[in-house]
Amino acid sequence: MKFIKDHIMFILPLVAILLGIEFFLVFDRMTASYEQRLREGYSMLVVSNEPVTLQELQSINKNIGQSTKIEKDEILKEISLGQKPEDIKEIINTLPSFYTIKLAKYLDTSDLDKLQKDLSANKKIKRVETFGSSYSSNYKLFSFIKFILKVFIVFMSVVSLFLVIKQMEVWGYVHRERMQVMEIFGAPVMLRSGILFKVAIVDAFIATAIIVSIFLYFRYQLAEIMELDILVNNSQLLFQPIDALILLFCAIVIVVISVYMVVFSSREKEA
Amino acid sequence: MANIIKATDLTLAYDRGKNEIIKNANFSIKKGEFVFITGPSGSGKSTLLKSFYGHLKPAGGSMIVGGVELSGVSTSKLQELRTHMGMVFQDYKLINEWTVAKNVVLPLMIAGYSLDVQQTQAQRLLRHVKLTEYGNKHPFELSGGEQQRVGIARALAKNPMLILADEPTGNLDEYSSNVIWDLMENACGQLETTVVVVTHRIPTIFSLPYRHFIIENKGVYEVH
Repeated sequence: MKFIKDHIMFILPLVAILLGIEFFLVFDRMTASYEQRLREGYSMLVVSNEPVTLQELQSINKNIGQSTKIEKDEILKEISLGQKPEDIKEIINTLPSFYTIKLAKYLDTSDLDKLQKDLSANKKIKRVETFGSSYSSNYKLFSFIKFILKVFIVFMSVVSLFLVIKQMEVWGYVHRERMQVMEIFGAPVMLRSGILFKVAIVDAFIATAIIVSIFLYFRYQLAEIMELDILVNNSQLLFQPIDALILLFCAIVIVVISVYMVVFSSREKEA
Repeated sequence: MANIIKATDLTLAYDRGKNEIIKNANFSIKKGEFVFITGPSGSGKSTLLKSFYGHLKPAGGSMIVGGVELSGVSTSKLQELRTHMGMVFQDYKLINEWTVAKNVVLPLMIAGYSLDVQQTQAQRLLRHVKLTEYGNKHPFELSGGEQQRVGIARALAKNPMLILADEPTGNLDEYSSNVIWDLMENACGQLETTVVVVTHRIPTIFSLPYRHFIIENKGVYEVH
């Protein structure tokens, strides 16, 4: 019973840390996917006196991903009803070129302002419309959610790390006498702390397995049971095989550091 | 005969040199000798013994044990030196979660001997201290005298060049104490191991020739 209690006291905070890491990974993928959708759904309008190529636009600012010329005929369709053909021709000749521009990556509002300034400063370009207010409100909300989640994950991980170290100290206390006796007889660190490493690494595997199971369940079962479209459609973002390796690596690093802390704190001291 | 321990102007202190226990001591112990170190409580007997296995480094002067200068000795060198020593403590310092047999072969385990060798040696050592039947028991199931015999078996496991014993009979009755002294004499007389014992009182039953150091007023003096 005591054995199980000792292990659970170590596994639980480790699970909490790994949960934080996995949330971070999932959230990172989710945000990247959301940013991509925002970026794809967003375009700005550029009006120029003469035709400009994508290369020219990209030389002005490298954050421009693609440009699409809006055909003048399309524009005139809306305004040329009842006009004489020769008038339409004249309008076509005097109309500037219109382009919709898409971004190469998701920009914050200051980068977006800079992009607008860079374009406006060019002699060929007459006007730039960024539709900045809708972009800005999306961006601010998104940044806020991102910030809150990261703070929560970091806080949870720090608290859990303290709990892991505390539990390691308890183990260290339990095993201290044995480690000191072994040290007196000349045992190297790895030998005298072998039992701690063994137990801690087993617990690291158990904690990783728990988190992997939870997220596999989320990915393959819960999303469908709950009929949440956002989860069903993005289930591949919920868990990826590489996550298992990342989690195991993190768990082992955490336990190895914790064991070393205990080992060095339990070394024989000059009284 | 070669010196196994040599102290030159040795000073031992706690609290980063502020609290001196031994000051400017000069003495040497030769291979195969049996040495008693006595002195009043708090005089520094155990401190001096700890300095022999590098638990306390010299605050001044020099201490050479088994050819190794202990001032500024590296951890790995100290570990290596300790594998050639056997230690016996008043409180036995046995590992209660382990069986008696496993406790006895701890030095062999540290030295990386195979399990077969460990098992054979455990039988031999337990026979030597007359505890053949106790191999599978745990230390807490044994009496104080029996635990100390296990401690001596452990100290002898690797035929050490030096055995250090800190009040080995301090917690034992007269009968058990006599058994322990007999084993100690045997270690020195037959196995030619150097034995250094810190004790309050030299046992009257002791029959081997020995040297006697006394610690007084921070000095270490030989009694002739």
